[in-house]
Amino acid sequence: MLRITGGKVYDPAHGIDGVVQDICIADGKIVADVGAGRTLDATGMIIFPGGVDIHTHVAGAALNFARGLTPENQRAAAPFLHTKDLRMGLGGPTPTTFATGYLYAGMGYTTVMEAAVPVLSAKHTHEELRDTPIVDKACLVLMANNEIVLDLLEAGETERAKQVVAWLIWAAKVYGVKAVNPGGVAAWKWGKDAKQMVSPIAGYSTLTPAKIIGGLAAIIDDLGLPHPIHLHCNNLGAPGNVSTTLDSIKALEGRRAHLAHLQFHAYGGDDWHTMRSEAVQLASYFNTQKHLTADAGAILFGNAVTITADGPWQHLLYQLTGRKWGNIDVENETGCGIVPYTYKGSNLVNAVQWAVGLELLLLIDDPWRIFLTTDHPNGACFWRYPEIIHLLMNAEYRRECIQKLPPKALKRITLPDLTREYSLYEIAIITSAGPARAMSMPQKGHLGVGADADLTIYNQNPDGAMMFRYPRYVIKGGEIVVEEGDLRKSIEGREFVVKPAFEPQIEDYLRPLFQQCYTMSFENYPVELERVHGLQMADCLPRG
Amino acid sequence: MGGKVTCTLGEVKNRADFIIYWGGNPAECHPRHFTKYTLTQKGKFVPTGRKGRTMVLVDIRETPSAKAADVFLQVRPGKDFEMVAALRALVKGQPVDPALVAETGLTVEQLQDFVNQMKSCKFGVLFFGMGLSMTRGKHMNSASVLALAAELNAFTKFVAMPMRGHGNVTGADVILRYTTGYPFGINLCRGYPRFNPGEFSTVDLLVRGDNDASLILGADPGATMPQPAIEHLARTPTIVLDPKVTHTSKISRVHITTAATGVSAPGTVYRMDEVPLPLRPALKSPYPTDEEVMRRIREAVMKKPAWLPAANGRLAARA
Ligand SMILES: [Zn+2]
Repeated sequence: MLRITGGKVYDPAHGIDGVVQDICIADGKIVADVGAGRTLDATGMIIFPGGVDIHTHVAGAALNFARGLTPENQRAAAPFLHTKDLRMGLGGPTPTTFATGYLYAGMGYTTVMEAAVPVLSAKHTHEELRDTPIVDKACLVLMANNEIVLDLLEAGETERAKQVVAWLIWAAKVYGVKAVNPGGVAAWKWGKDAKQMVSPIAGYSTLTPAKIIGGLAAIIDDLGLPHPIHLHCNNLGAPGNVSTTLDSIKALEGRRAHLAHLQFHAYGGDDWHTMRSEAVQLASYFNTQKHLTADAGAILFGNAVTITADGPWQHLLYQLTGRKWGNIDVENETGCGIVPYTYKGSNLVNAVQWAVGLELLLLIDDPWRIFLTTDHPNGACFWRYPEIIHLLMNAEYRRECIQKLPPKALKRITLPDLTREYSLYEIAIITSAGPARAMSMPQKGHLGVGADADLTIYNQNPDGAMMFRYPRYVIKGGEIVVEEGDLRKSIEGREFVVKPAFEPQIEDYLRPLFQQCYTMSFENYPVELERVHGLQMADCLPRG
Repeated sequence: MGGKVTCTLGEVKNRADFIIYWGGNPAECHPRHFTKYTLTQKGKFVPTGRKGRTMVLVDIRETPSAKAADVFLQVRPGKDFEMVAALRALVKGQPVDPALVAETGLTVEQLQDFVNQMKSCKFGVLFFGMGLSMTRGKHMNSASVLALAAELNAFTKFVAMPMRGHGNVTGADVILRYTTGYPFGINLCRGYPRFNPGEFSTVDLLVRGDNDASLILGADPGATMPQPAIEHLARTPTIVLDPKVTHTSKISRVHITTAATGVSAPGTVYRMDEVPLPLRPALKSPYPTDEEVMRRIREAVMKKPAWLPAANGRLAARA
């Protein structure tokens, strides 16, 4: 039982914009009142609902592959010392699992969504998530290059495809579906890509990326998954790709969707020399499409590791940078490429990318539909979010940063003309209330009665980067885990999983196909429920 | 620069039409490899099975695996790195000195033919074993074949994979990576992980005699390590957890018999392609599992007074 008094509360889900009011906590939940009990004096402080990251890569075979590929990053990373209550680990672009939990919690984030899980290695992802403490977690399973699903979509067998998708979601024990470079990863298995939304994919006669997007979006709505299709559009990172992004939105035919890391999909120009921002074009169209949400996928200058199921893009990046290249193709399902990357302020392309992320955040007019992410660790590490918040809240600081860009870049971006400054209320939306709503997690992202008692208390500071980097207190499930910048204790997080309805007979259809495509027995493929720690079932609401 | 371009074994089964084994003898060391993954299976895109695939074996001697190969290339011992270097040059269309190639025991024509096959296949895979990664050149050899496979992707689809060996060595590697950031050769003495193979690897610690005690799990260094390492294990307190008596048990102070994982203890094993497989025990064992023994040792250690310096979970210095 805990009463927090005197703090200025920002709870956008209830329209509360900096009102001084008490917050009461009992049994890990926000309650209307507690009688006697401990009081925390938050006078002069700011209270936010705990942060929610809608798109990050913190666990799984691909991230773990990246850790092995970049020991030099770990060596340069901040160490977490082993103590009585905390496990040792390392920060850096691909933090170790325990450090990941500590770093997120230390920044006031209490829920994260791991955005790329193959079914084949989902057991491993859940093992890593079990060792990722404090934060609550959810996963998205990769589906838009699963050849069993693609074969069904090509054959027009939508009902069976729906059954298979539902079965796979439950097999992987995840929360939703991610579509990465639809068809492009399957094509990559032949060394090809899928760049045209309406051209058939390598290995198929009629199936196009547009048909995969439309088909999966419809299936996801039919199944009533809480989170809509989570779409990583084709042609990521390529000059001129804004047209692909607009075509992908059209392929949804008005269905709800979340567009991942929009920054990487908002470029004009014909090649690297002419690449420019198309944030204005994309944002103005997006503003009219009320069924969509997106996350920024902003970049910051400095070291990153690009990890994506977009294999062909990673091969290109390897050829462009001459740096290390990791790639794993996963039988039947997906693939993944890894290239360490350094974004440089002096590089014209990187300067444009930096501006595009901020432009989208500033030009998309409804903060309930655009969320703060860096596609960690692709655009920047998640623990650098406070730097982006500072850029969004302070136009003067933004101008100073813009002045350091190469002069040529200024002609290709609109950022210098944008004067909007985010309010604290809007920051609370893009870091918590908005993503929680887009993930349909009714207990997250707000401070109303019944919500999980996940909240972050900041000392007010005009320097947004300082304020958001070092919360005064972080409370997770009613427990004070961070106090004055120190981790006080570590607790286990939970994992959200959905079970969409499917006919059990679908296994009779899948088993022989599975024996043909895979190299393990069918019985060993699904993740056993016991492997999910802190299991929290979420509901499906079919939208017939 | 190279990196690691790889895939899961099902991709090999379904797609590979060109298979190289280099410095390994799967016929004897991984006897199910040919039949489960690489050669005889009919794959989704290799419907004719063995007929649709070409296999090349590169090794220093004609092992029983050569019988399964379409082409056997016998490289001179210790000349693998030179052979890979010549192949990488030929892949890029650069001239090679026939005299230098001759030192590998092969001719430029043989290598050019090999390169032509690599470039013209649809999906190539290179498996490399300890005959490459543990002989002269060691990790430089592994890095160079990984780079060769990466570079071939400018022409066709090509992947590489180490033939990881016995037990769950891949699983240990995987778990150490996510808990410490590093796969092996890790030192935790400062309270956080540090990595330096050659300094912190087990064999180096033991040979130098740096450690005061050893706890050995799922391995038998007494059978494979150099004599000074074995002597150090015998000289200092060594504890072995193993279902059976090993060479190491015989020189250890304590041997704790544990249930055999996969036979009478559950768990997860990672395949050489890092795909996790659940283990369901068929039998019951009177012995505790490794996990239970480790948990009880840890509980006992936790009761001792802390020796660590006053550390905290300070979040200030991240980067
Ligand atoms: Zn991502």
